[in-house]
Amino acid sequence: MLIRFVGILLFLSTFPVFAHPVIYKDGIVVSSSNMQSYSDNQLMYSWSNRWSTGLNHWRFTKEDKNTELGFLKLNHLLYRHNGESSQGNIYLHGGVGIADSEIEKRQTNDAYMTGFEVDWETRTLFTAFKYYYFTSPKVTDISMAQARVGFSPYEAGFEQLQSWFMLQAMIMPEVESEVILTPMLRFFYKNVLWEIGSSTKGEWMLNLMVHH
Amino acid sequence: MKKILILALILTSSATFAKDISVKVSGMVCSMCAQGIQKKFSKLPEVKDIKVDLDTKVVSIITKDNQDIQDSKIKELITEAGYNVASIERK
Repeated sequence: MLIRFVGILLFLSTFPVFAHPVIYKDGIVVSSSNMQSYSDNQLMYSWSNRWSTGLNHWRFTKEDKNTELGFLKLNHLLYRHNGESSQGNIYLHGGVGIADSEIEKRQTNDAYMTGFEVDWETRTLFTAFKYYYFTSPKVTDISMAQARVGFSPYEAGFEQLQSWFMLQAMIMPEVESEVILTPMLRFFYKNVLWEIGSSTKGEWMLNLMVHH
Repeated sequence: MKKILILALILTSSATFAKDISVKVSGMVCSMCAQGIQKKFSKLPEVKDIKVDLDTKVVSIITKDNQDIQDSKIKELITEAGYNVASIERK
């Protein structure tokens, strides 16, 4: 119940996505990624340009039954390459919290997560990969891998709308037996980013993210 | 006496000029991520205006009259925003 409340709170306070776990010092990121099979809502505060801490809620849905996890999460920018016309990043993640699952029988227990994320982008090309592992003794073990490639047909200016075409491949063996492929559109304008897509299985994706 | 007066006038007038500082920044490829640069510098009382150009990778900082920002402060804020300073030029 508490997890669901935190999740709803994060979603309402919202907005959502892929990457940006650590931003500029004293920056706040609110993000929400939503598909039928999972959702990921985050509220993170970057207390340096290398570290951020915040709340993270996940939902995984298998055969209409939910597993929800709520974490106090720590993100670390392990490495950043600032090139002349490109940027690459490696992030590490860890979190402790609680899990609640409806699958098989209703169970709640402490939960832990770990993961990493790498990305590389120019003004018109984007590639990223992330992996997460969630575990809660006697409740659940879930792993998730996401890969993305994308391109933008033009180089937008600092205060112009930037548009991207992207393809996401996602594997969650404990939730969905097949690879979920999702073509999507990404837009961002100033400090707001939004994405909309539909998987090859017809699952809608709606992501939002705001930097503050 | 006349020379001193002229010199004083020159010094006084030049001291009231605003500075135009051009900072070349590495890694600035995402306009959303670079918003942090604008946010950081806009908070400084010395800053009158700031422009970010993703094409040239240059952040232009216009100071208020008779104000300046130390290079060390510029580097500190760019680093806090997640980027690297390649060069700083003043006009």
